[in-house]
Amino acid sequence: MAASTTGTEPKQKEFTAMQRRWWAFQPVTKPAVPVVTRKHLVANEIDAFVQSKLEAKALPSNPRADKVTLLRRVSLDLTGLPPTPEDVQAFVSDNSPEAWAKVVDRLLASKHYGERWARHWLDLARYADSDGFKADDTRPNIWRYRDYVIQSFNEDKPYDRFIKEQIAGDELYPNDPQALVATGFNRHFPDEYNARNLMQRRQELMFDITDVVGSTFMGLTMGCAKCHDHKFDAILHKDYYRLQAFFANTRIEDGAALVSATERAAYEKQLAIWEEKTKPVRDEMAKVLAPMRQTMWKDGFDKFPPEIQESITTAADKRTPIQWHMYYKAKPQIEYSDVDVAKKLKGDAAKRYKELQAELAKFNDSKPADLPLAQSMVDNASESPKTHVLAVGNYAVPQYEVEPGFLSILDPAPAKIVKPAGSHTSGRRSALANWLADPKNPLTARVMVNRVWHYHFGRGLSGTPSDFGVMGERPSHPELLDYLTATFIENGWSLKKLHRAILLSNAYQQSSDYNAEAAKTDPENKLVWRFTRRRLEGETIRDAMLAVSGTLNGKMGGPGVYPPLPPGVITRGGWKKDEDTSEASRRSVYIFVRRNTRYPMFEAFDMPDTHESCARRNNTVTAGQALDLLNNELVLDWSRALAKRAGNDAGMSAESRVERAYRLVYSRAPKAEETAAAVAFLQRHQPVAGSEQAAFVDLCHMLLNSNEFVYMN
Amino acid sequence: MLHKLGHHWNVRSRREFFTQAGSGLAALALGALAAEEAKGAGKADPMASKPPHHEPRAKSVIWLFMEGGPSHIDLFDPKPALDKLHGKPMPESFGRPITAMGTANNTLMAAPRKWKQYGKSGLWVSDWYPHIAEHVDDLAVIRSCQADGLNHVGSVCQMNTGDILAGRPSMGAWVTYGLGAANRNLPTFVVLLDDKEVIGGPKNWSSGFLPATFQGTQFRTGDTPILHLKNPKGVSREQQRSKLDFLKELNERWAVDKQDDSDLDARVRSYELAYQMQATGPEAVDLTKESEATRKLYGMDDPDLESFGRNCLMARRLVERGVRFVELYCGSGSGWDAHNNIEGNHSKWCRVSDKPIAGLLADLKARGLLKDTLVVWGGEFGRTPFNEKGDGRDHNPWGFTIFMAGAGIKTGQTVGTTDEIGLRAVEAPYHVHDIHATILHLLGLNHTRLTHLHNGRAERPTINGGKLIKELFV
Repeated sequence: MAASTTGTEPKQKEFTAMQRRWWAFQPVTKPAVPVVTRKHLVANEIDAFVQSKLEAKALPSNPRADKVTLLRRVSLDLTGLPPTPEDVQAFVSDNSPEAWAKVVDRLLASKHYGERWARHWLDLARYADSDGFKADDTRPNIWRYRDYVIQSFNEDKPYDRFIKEQIAGDELYPNDPQALVATGFNRHFPDEYNARNLMQRRQELMFDITDVVGSTFMGLTMGCAKCHDHKFDAILHKDYYRLQAFFANTRIEDGAALVSATERAAYEKQLAIWEEKTKPVRDEMAKVLAPMRQTMWKDGFDKFPPEIQESITTAADKRTPIQWHMYYKAKPQIEYSDVDVAKKLKGDAAKRYKELQAELAKFNDSKPADLPLAQSMVDNASESPKTHVLAVGNYAVPQYEVEPGFLSILDPAPAKIVKPAGSHTSGRRSALANWLADPKNPLTARVMVNRVWHYHFGRGLSGTPSDFGVMGERPSHPELLDYLTATFIENGWSLKKLHRAILLSNAYQQSSDYNAEAAKTDPENKLVWRFTRRRLEGETIRDAMLAVSGTLNGKMGGPGVYPPLPPGVITRGGWKKDEDTSEASRRSVYIFVRRNTRYPMFEAFDMPDTHESCARRNNTVTAGQALDLLNNELVLDWSRALAKRAGNDAGMSAESRVERAYRLVYSRAPKAEETAAAVAFLQRHQPVAGSEQAAFVDLCHMLLNSNEFVYMN
Repeated sequence: MLHKLGHHWNVRSRREFFTQAGSGLAALALGALAAEEAKGAGKADPMASKPPHHEPRAKSVIWLFMEGGPSHIDLFDPKPALDKLHGKPMPESFGRPITAMGTANNTLMAAPRKWKQYGKSGLWVSDWYPHIAEHVDDLAVIRSCQADGLNHVGSVCQMNTGDILAGRPSMGAWVTYGLGAANRNLPTFVVLLDDKEVIGGPKNWSSGFLPATFQGTQFRTGDTPILHLKNPKGVSREQQRSKLDFLKELNERWAVDKQDDSDLDARVRSYELAYQMQATGPEAVDLTKESEATRKLYGMDDPDLESFGRNCLMARRLVERGVRFVELYCGSGSGWDAHNNIEGNHSKWCRVSDKPIAGLLADLKARGLLKDTLVVWGGEFGRTPFNEKGDGRDHNPWGFTIFMAGAGIKTGQTVGTTDEIGLRAVEAPYHVHDIHATILHLLGLNHTRLTHLHNGRAERPTINGGKLIKELFV
């Protein structure tokens, strides 16, 4: 059914010597730790590498930040929440040499660590809870993927395993329900179930998957090779389609139950009992639905062009692999659920159906509870459709055929694919997963180590975390990147060990103070002579406000929640109202992600568009952000809660209330002049605000708006 | 570094390079540049007014988006051949397309309209648009437009962003990115809707991979057009001012030893700007300031026309105040989507849009605004010459009409043609990218030089395409 192919494989260009020598394609080595003269500044190997570069440029590095700043920094960094006054007290009074390590270990063990770091990964995975496109339908079970990511970070799942589960969990770990959930990574493409041109739609999905896998795991802009050889990097036009071919047989599977074999058997046993009892009712219901079902089937069928109709009508045992794919894509437009068909019934049929539903409901006692379902990606069958290189990326202009394969510059041969015996899957994705997670792969671990550095310092050792190509930025400290990468692999791909090493370095613990001399040579702080101050993300600002106002609901996991939207915001696909109002105060990572309408506060603060992978967020300063934090009723509610928490009662002195508010919001006590200024404000503001309490609420509100609160210093 | 950039790059200065490269690797560099060049003066302000690439012809764009797909062959592109072929299957020679509803085997359907030539130019307009017809001498009717999408969501998205898949910046965002703000107290890119949501929602005015600050601001219904523009309940302007003064104190004290960090200063300024917007925003959208005669001109005295008339009048007020890009939807949520009963559907939407648009054109002209405002009218595609369900028409992205007015373009002309039945553009076809390139050009922006480094590629508004609609330039 594919258009006739044109051409045979052209003679490929030879890679240039420069391409072959490109740093990111070289094997990872473990360089010797440099010897530096500033030994007193070296807390661990990281500092030796950092100081070595600084010494070479004769640049100083900043001294250690004060303890409060450090604690606030690391708490926000690892958990997305500011420290409590008690945390501050404990750390400040701990003068032991291990005080800092203890804090780091405590935070790494916190369940909030996973909630914070999962958000980074969800940016890369273009995670959303809905389809996008016109209908923007809810993906009812995709949140299990979000929870899977949180849990994986919390349990320090080895990163190689994390990759394998997401690329090929269904094939590699068929008995692990969580591994099936993990395949949701490739399920996050924006989609439209009722597209008419299904060949085009399928191709668009494969583009999405190829681009996201290329950028997230390999740190390469594969997408540039969709239409032609990459203009800068050693990625051939055909390499794009070789990578895509690993997914040629992959399709959506949203009906797989997440239960063990025993649980499933129990379910089926109970279901059989219920089905037996309800057979007469259900048979009649089916009969009532049949004419409408037929009409709906025909309506859908008639709209397809002949080749799609043929894919539908061809007998199952005769369908070609591509016809199977077209059939699966067409299915939601011709085969509707009982609920959808019943909605269309009219008159007597509708009335009778309602009666039968009531009849059926009488047997609900013996009906087993619905099984939890995954939204996942699986292979269609063991045989895959062919993959062709496409002229200018056009699905209708296929050129020569390619087999699954890796980057030619690393391995020009076709990938060795082993079909798992006796199963309905091709084994293609397993081959890709194993290649990606191979310790000898020069890209995978380096890319992830650089990402971790990026999230800690605000910029990676390479400043372009998803572009290790020629257009990206070469690492400022290539030896350090390699050293950390080699150590990461030695440590069993443990992210927590990597975090720990970075956080225990002096480089991380430096103050953010300005140094004109250093800034002259290295204005971008590439050599890490200071810690770079930066604005918190929208999600973190909200979480921190919830935390300091004492209103945070710490419940973990489950379906997305729906905090109230500001008046005037409409969303197609709906924004449910949570029955339980405390759900509105859950952490930001649990807020439902409607692909077509980002939660307004997060959108204002640069939450990425969920249509493609995002490795590095924009960081803007806009009037819209100011309006949101100033006039959003929710922020004012949190300010009221904060005021109350800080002791908003007449019995307390203004000074002690100000002090308490400062400790909650900034994790520190106010200086004398700050207290004086705050008290002066309360006095002059009280007549305007109407009461002492109202004035104090406004004070709290402004603390939450202030730079000191909104920045990680 | 510069020699590596492959896709159209023309750099005049280091500053411009980083500005054009935007927030990719360059945002960091920009910060550094700012530190280097203007210590304390603040980092490059993304909304600062920027010089155009060339002398602009228009200061603003008003895009009248007829969402759902108005039928070109029933409005601006008469097809006598269709009358003859009415009820017959489409001759194979026209080439059978895949259509949204699988209607290509249906019989052809004539346009049962009365057509007339208007003005000095003698342009044809059907009786569905009698008021707009009076302005034909001020219109350039482009009859040979082409798009790529079959369905609404992709096509609305492409008309806004250039691509049928969501994720790219919309034209208004590119313009904001390229030119900055002319009036800092109002958003630079404003979107006005009917009471329903546009298909695909805010993705259509998204900044895509550009920083969010460049995205369109959807004016809400009611008296707070901008999200969170009003003070919280019970907070007076005096109280807000007093709070902001305290905030400034807090921020200044914290910044005493952080003078190098221009971001902190930018954040302080953003609060002052927000406060300004709170004062000027409501005035800009306060239509009670308009005379009865003006309101009538826009059809606002007719309850059916009031809503779209209001948006058209609002568009004029915004353009007057320096807003660069106003996009207003008529029939948001696929209103014009006449799969059946095109008579009823188009009668309604043409009536809703005819007088307000005519009023807008007249008003802009009378106030001397039309000469530097570009008005664009069109949908995401046109409709098929073959029938759907007997009395409707299916989607047609292969050939359809838009019109443009103002900005000193050559008007009183038609551009391009479709085939005898209006299915496909034949002479001088212009793709959506060409429309975009032309709009940007009129605003002083060269679509090949308006780039942003994203995922290793210097992305531009027209992706890989785009040529000017040369007939518009005298």
